[in-house]
Amino acid sequence: MLRWLAKRIVAAALVVFIVTSLVFVVTHVFTDPATVSLPLEASEEQRDQRRAALGLDRPIGVQYWDFVSGMVVGDFGESFWQSQPASELVFERVPATLRLVAGAAVVTVLLAAPLGMLAAWFQRRFADHAVMGFSMAAISAPPFWIGYLLIIIFAVQLGWVPTFGSDGWRSLILPSFAVGLASAGRLTQMTRRGIVEELRKPYSVTAMSRGFSRSYTIVHHTFRNIASGFVTMTGWELTRMFTGYTVVIEVVFAWPGVGRLAVHAIENRDLILVQAAVVVLATMVVVTNLLVDIARRMIDPRVELL
Amino acid sequence: MNSASTQQTDTGQRLLEVKNLTVGFPTRDGVVLGTDGLTLNVGSHERLGVVGESGSGKSVMGLAILGMVLPPGRIMGGSIRWRGEDMLDRSVANRVRGREIAMIFQDPMVSLNPLKTVGAQLRELLRHRAGLEGSAVKRRSIELLDMVGIANPQDRLKSYAFELSGGMRQRVMIATALACEPLLLIADEPTTGLDVTIQDQVLALLHDLSTELGVSVLMITHDLGVVAQFCDRVQVMYAGRIVERAPIAAMFADPQHPYSMGLLQSVPRVDLHRSELAAIPGEPLDRANFPPGCAFEPRCGEAREICRDAPPLLTQFADRRWVACYNRDPDHTSGHTMTETL
Repeated sequence: MLRWLAKRIVAAALVVFIVTSLVFVVTHVFTDPATVSLPLEASEEQRDQRRAALGLDRPIGVQYWDFVSGMVVGDFGESFWQSQPASELVFERVPATLRLVAGAAVVTVLLAAPLGMLAAWFQRRFADHAVMGFSMAAISAPPFWIGYLLIIIFAVQLGWVPTFGSDGWRSLILPSFAVGLASAGRLTQMTRRGIVEELRKPYSVTAMSRGFSRSYTIVHHTFRNIASGFVTMTGWELTRMFTGYTVVIEVVFAWPGVGRLAVHAIENRDLILVQAAVVVLATMVVVTNLLVDIARRMIDPRVELL
Repeated sequence: MNSASTQQTDTGQRLLEVKNLTVGFPTRDGVVLGTDGLTLNVGSHERLGVVGESGSGKSVMGLAILGMVLPPGRIMGGSIRWRGEDMLDRSVANRVRGREIAMIFQDPMVSLNPLKTVGAQLRELLRHRAGLEGSAVKRRSIELLDMVGIANPQDRLKSYAFELSGGMRQRVMIATALACEPLLLIADEPTTGLDVTIQDQVLALLHDLSTELGVSVLMITHDLGVVAQFCDRVQVMYAGRIVERAPIAAMFADPQHPYSMGLLQSVPRVDLHRSELAAIPGEPLDRANFPPGCAFEPRCGEAREICRDAPPLLTQFADRRWVACYNRDPDHTSGHTMTETL
């Protein structure tokens, strides 16, 4: 187990390194940070000055080494826009994004697991159709629209929770649902399908032939056998959240996370900050995947993951 | 013509009475019948074999007895009585299932939960279904594994199914089936998929246990060898119906139904030197296109006009011997006898 874990961690670090390199290629080879950061009407002279100030006039290999070695110690360079270290700006936003994704993950799992089991239990009956209709709607609706809908209903009309910002857990509720609903929908469908399939397998039939009820069999036998797939899918959904949903929803709810920072950085043509945000988001994705692999291994004794 | 209700199995008290059981599966081409007016009885301390080819409705019958017809299939007619109680009553079935009637299945490789240890699966049964608590659970688990001939039962409690051989898995399955001390064990092809030597061991184990514990066994199989080795009585099933019923010796010495004869002739035997095995001509039945008459008629060498009109009834023609065939039916040859109303 330890050897395996060590291997996984090395592999994860390698992925982060590759992502970092790709980011460098995009920002330094295909684009010129100096040009992007200056107004369009800036003169060639001003650009050269900016290049020299940023060290962009040095050979590309040297720049790459600087970039990577800086990354290792958490130095992403200075933001043009905010004139402070990009790392500070990004790192202070990380907890907010993690909180949002954690909230969304809770929404996803707590909706998908019971609803999926419920639908499978009541297969082809009203509850099943209702759950499947709901999850289809959750999948089809764009998250930003769900976000506005939730704000209008629960914040503006009913006044139960704040419309935006991040004061305490109450303000976390709506963004969590906005981020998590689509994932919950997909995961509900996958859970239902998995359980219906597993219920036909001999071990489920055996469990029921021993006198365990259908509901007991679903909860105690069948669900465990799709748990591995469930965790894998949840991992994918978390990945989607980090790289997509949170960005949109953080903007909708004025949530002070990394995604919203990245959007502002792009608006302000601050490539250094974009770079830092992308690398940090990618790292969170890689860490999520690592955690998923560990969880799968703990669930299924047969899994000998590479 | 209602002598069926007074017919006695000769081995004591009657446990299970299935009468006229019809299980149907709706399909695009109409309802396919899994069993069609099936009748059988199992007495206490009895080993009854039900033999038939795949698709003859044997497995459907086993699950139907436990009230476990998988949707969209459903029981369309008939009755199942367990010690006088109606098994079609859900509350009766829920009480009896797994406690008084337990079932073991065809494929031990996949019939145990792959993610639970042997001990966890036994524990769950003993707690929830047998009502044991505390240290009694573990003691009984070890006792059960020991009973089915598993060495080092204490250690095996921690094993997962994938760590056991096929024979061991089937032994564990038998242990879980016996956990609640059932009166009847339904064994659906319990040796199919096992090595031949292991098949014999498992069969011998089942035989010994049923004798020692006084458990009746309903052995569902396609293998006449298993029936010969294991059962007291046998019923031959074709297309969801029983075509012949006889004590084991009589069946092998003197089969009456043309299908039974065909089955027996297609068994390889070491005591007879035959260059070729006889095969039953024709195709196994297409279950969606049921002939109105005897289901075996299209493949039968003795078929007559009457066979095409209506299915023959299962009729008693000698002591403990029943057959459903117009060519053997005394009603059509020598006047009045007892006929089971189906």
